[in-house]
Amino acid sequence: MVKQQIVPIVLTIVSIVIIYLALQLDLSPPMIVGDSMQPRAFPIFLMVLNLLLIAILAYQIFKTPPKQNEPINRVTWLSMVLMVLFYGLTVSTDMFIAITVVMFLLSLAWGERRPLIAAANAILTPFLIFLLFDNVLRIRFPRGILMNWYYG
Amino acid sequence: MYEALSALGSVVLDPYLLFLIFATTIIGIVIGVLPGLGATTGAALLLPFTLTMDPVHAIAVLATIYVSATFAGSITAILINTPGTSAAAATTFDGFPLAQRGEAGRALGIAVIASTFGGIVSVVVLCFAAPLLARVAYEFRPPEYFALTVFGLSMLASISSGGAVKNLIGGVFGVWLSTIGAERVTAIERFMFGNYELYEGLSFVPVMIGLFAMSELLVQSKMANQAAEYIKMKAVQLPSRADYKKIWKTVVRSSGIGTFIGILPAEGATVASMIGYSEAKRWSKNKEEFGKGSIEGIAGAESANNAATGGAMVPTMVLGIPGSGTTAIILVGLMVHGLRPGPYLFNEQVTAVYQIFGSMFVANIMFLLMGLYAAKIFARISLVPSAILWPIVFALSVIGAYALNSSMLDIWIVLIFGVIGFLARRFGFAVAPIAVGLILGKMVEVNLQNSLKIFNGEWWQIFTQPLAVFFLLLAFLGLCGPQLFRLVTRGSFDANDGQSN
Repeated sequence: MVKQQIVPIVLTIVSIVIIYLALQLDLSPPMIVGDSMQPRAFPIFLMVLNLLLIAILAYQIFKTPPKQNEPINRVTWLSMVLMVLFYGLTVSTDMFIAITVVMFLLSLAWGERRPLIAAANAILTPFLIFLLFDNVLRIRFPRGILMNWYYG
Repeated sequence: MYEALSALGSVVLDPYLLFLIFATTIIGIVIGVLPGLGATTGAALLLPFTLTMDPVHAIAVLATIYVSATFAGSITAILINTPGTSAAAATTFDGFPLAQRGEAGRALGIAVIASTFGGIVSVVVLCFAAPLLARVAYEFRPPEYFALTVFGLSMLASISSGGAVKNLIGGVFGVWLSTIGAERVTAIERFMFGNYELYEGLSFVPVMIGLFAMSELLVQSKMANQAAEYIKMKAVQLPSRADYKKIWKTVVRSSGIGTFIGILPAEGATVASMIGYSEAKRWSKNKEEFGKGSIEGIAGAESANNAATGGAMVPTMVLGIPGSGTTAIILVGLMVHGLRPGPYLFNEQVTAVYQIFGSMFVANIMFLLMGLYAAKIFARISLVPSAILWPIVFALSVIGAYALNSSMLDIWIVLIFGVIGFLARRFGFAVAPIAVGLILGKMVEVNLQNSLKIFNGEWWQIFTQPLAVFFLLLAFLGLCGPQLFRLVTRGSFDANDGQSN
């Protein structure tokens, strides 16, 4: 029962947390707000509306329980872990090193059995995108090991 | 009128714009044939590349992606029974059976012709309907805009696959996301958690890339090693005279249906193609052929889905209310490039508006030529292994998101919304309502605030405005109409039952 209602439960918690956070917002002096509404009013209204909709959703699930989802598969988990790895590598080394490593590992995780092809894709794609953004769009990328070397 | 015609004509005289449309049509078809990468994801990924372009060129690129990717979904729908885009789902019903009978070229020929006709009809309607609607919308004040936006949000209930309630919940969360940042009037910081990069609010582009591209990557990872059944064909075959005779009524009808459905806020090509298909079946003299390779079925679905592209641009450009996920991104593109969507656009930027319409017209001609002569090559692209394709999408997503504001925060937003989008889709929530809610959120709040000021804080005065009441009534009927209809018809059935008993 609780398992079936997990979505409404999570959404209810999120909505209540947002209402709580909205209630912590500063009140603006009436002179500024005038005839309009306080900044907290709109988000609170939205979340109350959401709670009503969530109640309807919970009732619908109670009446006709949805099919149980298959567990998230290994490749999807790995892809999400690689996103975390991307964050870590970007912060600690360089964005383009992170992209290359993650692209390479993502290819392998998704079943690419030719490491050379995966490596070529992981190196060439970010390199070409970098050239395009750097030369044509004139975007400056965040400094890291590679970018420090490139920008000097 | 003269200005509009000269603007339309100027598209053909601008070689750079023609080149851009040509190149983008190729990219759009490639995106359309790759299962999982639809027009919405494609537009989200390409948006950062348009940053340095002239606004007209940038929007022309996005509109071309929309038009060509919507058509290209039919190529894989016919050849590998996998719709490249959700809008081509109805094309598989008859396209693949016809291809299995060895008539893949004929099926593609019908799809190309029907798509082009639908697309061109919708652009023509767009050219005439948009300025008329803009003239009406020009008179709208904040109460009418508020009610119109509420109507647009209510239409989220049917925007895509998720149930109505789930879509509305997604939409409300999207609207809430728009409240992040400093409040417009009082500058009070809302839900920023001390991060001053959020002062202006969540940037639309990374949220779109996260919701559409990154979440799709995670969804596709489930099918990482699946191989598709591919049907070979010799060449695309133009429909014969007998074929034209059989399908012309269907094509005309479905083009009208598609354009009309596209114009409705939040209804897109997918809904249009389904209705176009079912109407083709309803009016057909050969109903038994449907599902077994009916050319009317292909024509009905394809003309309707491409007709919806022009239709969906009407509310997007005239009212600032996107008609689908892709038009939501086009709307973001308009904003990023300083073109304020809404009726004023038709006063202030007439030339730009008609150049965009003209570009869509040219894009339809381009994909006709490419569809006829290069569909075979494009179909092969769909066989690119996902283990190569999706890492490229990952790189494009993160670099593209960074490029907009040169902000690392935008990259984290892509990743976070990628996971949120994936989880939402896993539990049956569509992501398009979240995106549309985010875009419309500011519009709702600002117009509500302005209405309150106009009416000295008396909110119920909104209901004294006839047009506002009209839109709110439409919103109510859109949300509760089906249930009320069911209740009423059930009541009358019960009464009939009682009489017969």
